[in-house]
Amino acid sequence: MSQYHAIVIGAGFTGVAIAHDLALRGFRVTVVERGPIANGTSGRTHGLLHSGARYAVNDQESAIECIQENQILRLIVPDAIEPNGGLFIAVDESDLEYREKFIKGCEECKIPIRELTPKEALRIEPNLNPKLLTAFTVPDGTFDPLRLALAFAATAKSNGAVFHLYTDVVDLLTDGQGNIKGVKVWNRAADKRFEIEGDIVVNATGAWVGQITSMAGIRVPIAPTPGVMVAYDKRLTQRAINRLNKPGDGDIVLPQRRMMVVGTTSFSIEDPDYVPVLPDHVALMIERGSELIPALRQTKERGAYMATRPLIGSGAPGRSISRTFKAYDHKETDNVEGLVTITGGKATTLRLMAEKTVDLVCKKLGVNAPCTTAETPLISYRKFFVN
Amino acid sequence: MENPEKKPNTRGIWDWFDPRGRKVGGWGFILNRLSAIGLTVYLYLHLVMLGKLAQGPEAYDSFIAFAKQPLILFGEILVIIGGLYHGLNGIRIALNSFGVGVNAQKQLLYGVLTLTIVGSLIFGLRMIAAH
Amino acid sequence: MSEEKWTVNFVVYRKKGEGEPHYQTFTLEVSPDEYVIDGVERIWAFHDRSLVFAHACHHSTCGACGMRVNGVEKLTCITRIRDVTTNGGTLRIEPLRNFPVISDLVVDMSRLYVGMDKVHAPAVHPLSMAPLEGEGIKPPREVPMDDGKEYLRLADCIECGLCISACPIAGTAEEYLGPAVLAAAQLQGLNRAPDLTAIVDCVDGVWRCHSAYECTAVCPSNVDPGWRIMDLRRQVLAQRIRRWFGAA
Repeated sequence: MSQYHAIVIGAGFTGVAIAHDLALRGFRVTVVERGPIANGTSGRTHGLLHSGARYAVNDQESAIECIQENQILRLIVPDAIEPNGGLFIAVDESDLEYREKFIKGCEECKIPIRELTPKEALRIEPNLNPKLLTAFTVPDGTFDPLRLALAFAATAKSNGAVFHLYTDVVDLLTDGQGNIKGVKVWNRAADKRFEIEGDIVVNATGAWVGQITSMAGIRVPIAPTPGVMVAYDKRLTQRAINRLNKPGDGDIVLPQRRMMVVGTTSFSIEDPDYVPVLPDHVALMIERGSELIPALRQTKERGAYMATRPLIGSGAPGRSISRTFKAYDHKETDNVEGLVTITGGKATTLRLMAEKTVDLVCKKLGVNAPCTTAETPLISYRKFFVN
Repeated sequence: MENPEKKPNTRGIWDWFDPRGRKVGGWGFILNRLSAIGLTVYLYLHLVMLGKLAQGPEAYDSFIAFAKQPLILFGEILVIIGGLYHGLNGIRIALNSFGVGVNAQKQLLYGVLTLTIVGSLIFGLRMIAAH
Repeated sequence: MSEEKWTVNFVVYRKKGEGEPHYQTFTLEVSPDEYVIDGVERIWAFHDRSLVFAHACHHSTCGACGMRVNGVEKLTCITRIRDVTTNGGTLRIEPLRNFPVISDLVVDMSRLYVGMDKVHAPAVHPLSMAPLEGEGIKPPREVPMDDGKEYLRLADCIECGLCISACPIAGTAEEYLGPAVLAAAQLQGLNRAPDLTAIVDCVDGVWRCHSAYECTAVCPSNVDPGWRIMDLRRQVLAQRIRRWFGAA
């Protein structure tokens, strides 16, 4: 057991998964989060537990990560997942042209798919566009974003992790030589300011990593890339419905409770703190969504929102950037000791992102503890609130 | 998390009677509480009044003479209204508790109110006529 | 969404630590088609970074953003500004009732979570436990899964706490399980989960309810707790009656 103290900044998917992993590997863990659990990008995901098929053609690294993590999450956190599968459907000729590449990509990434005739597809999902040309089943699922994060947080907490919610990091503590030795925080709930010292600071703030690293004078190549999602007031399918084509706007329609959620778009911004929901993007969602499920046009909008993906790289527009993730040891990249940044990735790969980040932390500190999160079932998310 | 006292955010029994933001069922509840408290107070007054019997016929007769005032009559009509409403609403809730008419609870409440008004008018007018 | 702009006064409940609660007014330009949470988030982003409020999914699947809007419990992410105020009007934003306030608009809902845990409320359950209604559009139900297994779906209850805040009895009966918890017990059914009988058939269970039906009026997620509590009473009564005749 190591007696190192790790400070995790951010309680989104990556932050809570890292806290859980660190706690399992014997670290003393403190999590600092400026809002409640998963209030940023994580809470506002679409909720698709990716099979990886979405990325099987042009981003196979992400695709393979997705299918592996998909299978792990189903086992360790069944409380937050609807394991009902998904369909990729073709509704026009350009979709059909994608078919061959799709089959090949899924095979290469070991994603189990099965082709259905239009009749079979319409029998299991009667609200699909009746003009659909072909369909594939994929092992997609729906997850409940907040409860997925809470399950990790609850388990971390039960293993000793301490969570400071509604607490902003206002500065990084340094040792005088530019190395990081803790954080200076402001708890907004009690309006108290204090310092937390640790052996390692993990910056898991997703689209906001730049705000933290700039406190140490470091720039990270991150492109905050928001997308709009719209929820509709009726559940029209059992499965997640994807457009059989390369990733694009409004190509996923996901059932959730008694809703359908259509997403998403992609655009660039500078400051992810507040991004407006653009009306033309909302209009585009119903446009694109109803190509897959025509009945969406007759359902009422229930909510419209936006989430900011943390894409790695700068300059290039959203869709062409890989959806994989990267952990930076700032000792190597910027000669600043004591700070690790993790960003990129996607909800489905949260556990893997944590594993790789904590591997890096362990290597840095010379801790020899293997990752066990893939085999450790999480406790009930409700335990986060029950002391 | 940071709340050392852990006191719930409530004004206690005052929230029973706060009609702001309440819907039909909530109004039914408020009336039910008010009538319950009214009837309880009346029960004690009633027992005090019966206690006069133990003090002999004069005490009782003088009380009855006192009770002929219009204000007391008004109070008695309130007892009728409260009793009718509370009793009828009790039947509504009992029916609901057996799974009967839960989705028609609003309509049942309107029925309760109508019967209360009709009943109160009949009794009230008779009492005033007999006064 | 139109280009229309409204000016709305957000009168926000503020409380820090041991300090006295007070109200603070923020005047915002909003689109009437935006949701209340968008306004609250903008107050934090552009006016006062000390504001503490809870939110996560912004589309009514998580239940984090419950608040009282002009005195009525609302899930603020699906409450359009147009539906709760007027141009030049006021939005009074307060934390939920009947829970301890942590700060500003955030309350400690452990009361609800403890109860949900106690009745082992399922977060994901078979579709048949609460089927989806069709309402004129072909309902995706009674379709077996590919391998013959039953469909699972996320439960309707999002544990937002609005029902406990709206319940006039929950404020004076701290031990009352509350509408969401009783609804979760009803969903499972006393026949399927017989251990629940002892938990719900008591003064702080089904019998504490005083039938104000405010829970059903504010529920944003189709749970209808008022109806479920009454149905749970029916189940309890049916069990008792069966027991009497069974014993005879």
